[in-house]
Amino acid sequence: MKKEFKYVGRTFPPDHGVRKVTGDLDYCCDVKMPNMLYAKLLLSPIPHGIVKQINTSRAEKVPGVIKIFSHFNSPNKMFSTYRIIPGQQMCFEDETLFAERVKYVGDRVAAVVATSLAAAREAVSLIDIEYEELPALLTPEEALNNREVKIQPRGNVVHEYVVDVGDVPPTTEDCITMESETQTQRIHHAAIEPHGCIAYYDTAGKLTIWTPTQSVYGVRTVVAELFDMNYSDVRVIKLPIGGSFGGKQEFLFEPVTSFMAMETKRPVKLILDREECIIHTRVRPPVKTRIKTTVTKSGKLLELIADSTLDSGAYAGASPDYVATLSQKVCKLYRIPHYRHSGRAVYTNTVRSGGSRGWGAPEIITAVEIHMDQLAKKLGMDPVEFRLQNLVHPYDMDPVVQLSLGDARVIECLQKGAEAFRWKERYNSQDKQGRYRRGVGVACGAHKNGMYGGFIDSTSMVLKMNEDGSLNLNASIHDVGCGIGTVMKIIIAEVLDIDPALITVTEADTEYTGYDPGVYGSRVTYVVGACAKKVAEMLKEQILENAALILGKPKEYLRVEKGCVYTVGEAEKRVISYQEIAEKAIRENFRSLNAAYTYHSSSNPGSYSVQFAEVVVDTVTGLTSVTDFLAVSDIGRALNRGMIEGQFQGAVQMGIGYALCEEVRIDEKGRPLNNSFANYHMLTALDMPDVKVLLIEHEGDEGPFGAKSIGEISTVPTAAAVINAVNNALGTSLSDLPVTPDKILAALAEQKRVRVC
Amino acid sequence: MLIEFKVNGKSYQIDVCPSMRLIDLLRDELGLTGTKEGCGEGECGSCTVIMDEKAVNSCLVLAPQVDGKEIITVEGLAEDGQLDSLQQKFLEHSAVECGFCTPGMLMSAKALLMKNPHPTDEEIRTAIAGNLCRCAGYAKIVAAIKAAADSTDQ
Repeated sequence: MKKEFKYVGRTFPPDHGVRKVTGDLDYCCDVKMPNMLYAKLLLSPIPHGIVKQINTSRAEKVPGVIKIFSHFNSPNKMFSTYRIIPGQQMCFEDETLFAERVKYVGDRVAAVVATSLAAAREAVSLIDIEYEELPALLTPEEALNNREVKIQPRGNVVHEYVVDVGDVPPTTEDCITMESETQTQRIHHAAIEPHGCIAYYDTAGKLTIWTPTQSVYGVRTVVAELFDMNYSDVRVIKLPIGGSFGGKQEFLFEPVTSFMAMETKRPVKLILDREECIIHTRVRPPVKTRIKTTVTKSGKLLELIADSTLDSGAYAGASPDYVATLSQKVCKLYRIPHYRHSGRAVYTNTVRSGGSRGWGAPEIITAVEIHMDQLAKKLGMDPVEFRLQNLVHPYDMDPVVQLSLGDARVIECLQKGAEAFRWKERYNSQDKQGRYRRGVGVACGAHKNGMYGGFIDSTSMVLKMNEDGSLNLNASIHDVGCGIGTVMKIIIAEVLDIDPALITVTEADTEYTGYDPGVYGSRVTYVVGACAKKVAEMLKEQILENAALILGKPKEYLRVEKGCVYTVGEAEKRVISYQEIAEKAIRENFRSLNAAYTYHSSSNPGSYSVQFAEVVVDTVTGLTSVTDFLAVSDIGRALNRGMIEGQFQGAVQMGIGYALCEEVRIDEKGRPLNNSFANYHMLTALDMPDVKVLLIEHEGDEGPFGAKSIGEISTVPTAAAVINAVNNALGTSLSDLPVTPDKILAALAEQKRVRVC
Repeated sequence: MLIEFKVNGKSYQIDVCPSMRLIDLLRDELGLTGTKEGCGEGECGSCTVIMDEKAVNSCLVLAPQVDGKEIITVEGLAEDGQLDSLQQKFLEHSAVECGFCTPGMLMSAKALLMKNPHPTDEEIRTAIAGNLCRCAGYAKIVAAIKAAADSTDQ
């Protein structure tokens, strides 16, 4: 029987929507405090060297300058910007507040705190620094081949791993093998809100940090450990966030801003400018992957052997875990009898890599899906038909992480998507002549739902009903811009059948909201949402129990509807509103209506998206336009439909940029070439195709009302779909991202040369 | 230097440093922080305001250029607590996610509709081509602007 929902699946504006459209919502950059000081960082202009001397005499003369910090007058305790909990594995403490030995162009050398930003800026420009330059290793190849130059004391390899599962089955069929190599690049997250935070250390010894972070408890851990403070003396308050995409996952600025606040005893605000956001914060890691597959001539995969090298940049951060996740995506997508994946993360003297939407999936799936297209071509098979033979089925076991993939509907996504996109017809009727070549491409992607099986994945909440029937959800919500608070309201509204406008949801504050490790791993809807559903169900029980006392009826004879409790099975139906129940619960029953729960996830199914792209490539200029796009996803159940579609369309914007134009390139002297939005090109409204979104809803897993994650999976297969379309249009096998006009023209020239020969 | 200008219908006379940018004038001097800074070089459009009926990047306009001009910021869109139809349609059409680009998007859209009340999709996309959005991929924003234009007809 088809379930009818009242709130789930409709479209609601995000929390604080009205304040967002009126400009009334204060982001970090808008917050002003009495006596507030402004900080400005001085970033290294060289990729590797020792800070020998700092002369601040000119800078100190700038009116308004309060203090100047560098490694000469700061603690040199090492810390990791990635630590969320004490005792966390794979956190390498490899940086200090200010570098004595700078390790990339953009490393933190010094900072000025002043009464105005203008004064801080001017003073930074007047600091004289003497560096002793050291040889810089700018690529993983250089770092691996010149190990005598150590970027970090522990060497140049951050972490290595090998995963090897299964065996090649015996076959009587003829087989072929194929190898490919794909390079994905460094990209800027490009949240439109620049990074920043505010810190204040009060006379009672309490440090308060206001920050648009993805994890308040993580900020607390790193800062409290760094300054040897009690966790209870560090309060972290999450501010509204102007986008993050993984870029605000690690705790990069809170430690240094806290230190400056502790030293000056005044609130200190640090807001980065765009260049600093690009060169100093984290980027999506560049990854090179070689893949070798063995497949039967009828198209059955027997073996996939992959080797990946990830450029971690100058500090480890998330890279050790990140590189390991590369090996945890492929078997979520394909049935592969023998899978082996070796990989390593390597330090280089370049901008630090870090958590980025999809966490390894866009990198590895791009390589895998470009490879699969080439394999299908070699077999003479339609890429859709080839994939259908090899994709995972619902409730398959993921052999790498040893968990069920749950109701994995990637095959259905591909079948329904192919039909909606008219794949067969378009794939077989492409015009491959003339200046403008049209091509179509498809790619599949897999991701996960939370951290279960790998890391802590619990969340604590309290839901209370007030005497007027309104509700407060007290939870460590970290809305990263996609309306997480609204999703919680929809879930609670559906359970209690109540207007979502009556529900208030808190954002995270370590002082007042329960433990939650943060927003990453696509855990929010699936795990945090499941907790919201649980507390709503618990509260519903309490409502019914109190209504039973008030009405003198067993609660089995009561039901809820539209914010009221009704009696059932009586000739004369009686009704009592939530408001009356809540009020009488306190006054007459001496009970308050509140439900508290700590939820632990116990599964981690796969999330899937299959995407189809049509491109037109101009063979004279090498420019590619994406002219049509379809994103299909097995979402389980859509909670806030309009926002989900928007999230997909945004993810496709990011993925097309990944495929075609976005890159932070580093020149031979280690300097980032794309250090502003003037030379870091993202797709605008004019560049974007009409992105259609098709949602497959089966609700076969444990998420709230069956919902699964979409925030990361939405961008996983995009780049591969676009590149496969370009290769389809041109008959090329481009796999070095981004596929820029110069690479396209070079490939066409090579094609011509080969033909002439 | 002393400049005279209007913001959201209100007249101001302010003594400013000639190198002051319009965005700083609005945010720091007038406390109108709805206008956001995303890049400081006219590329992202989140600081877009309307100056004499034209959408401009307020990070690229200097205070002396504002003398005698009439500025509308995002704070000037709603009247008497009633949202402008653009604001309303942005909310209804899921055109708002993180919200940081939203004020600039709204002002580019408003400037378009002031000049061209019946824009085509292409004209809408051109009008917001200078406004970057990283969350929503523009489709919902275009639909919201179209819906706002259509709602003004009725």
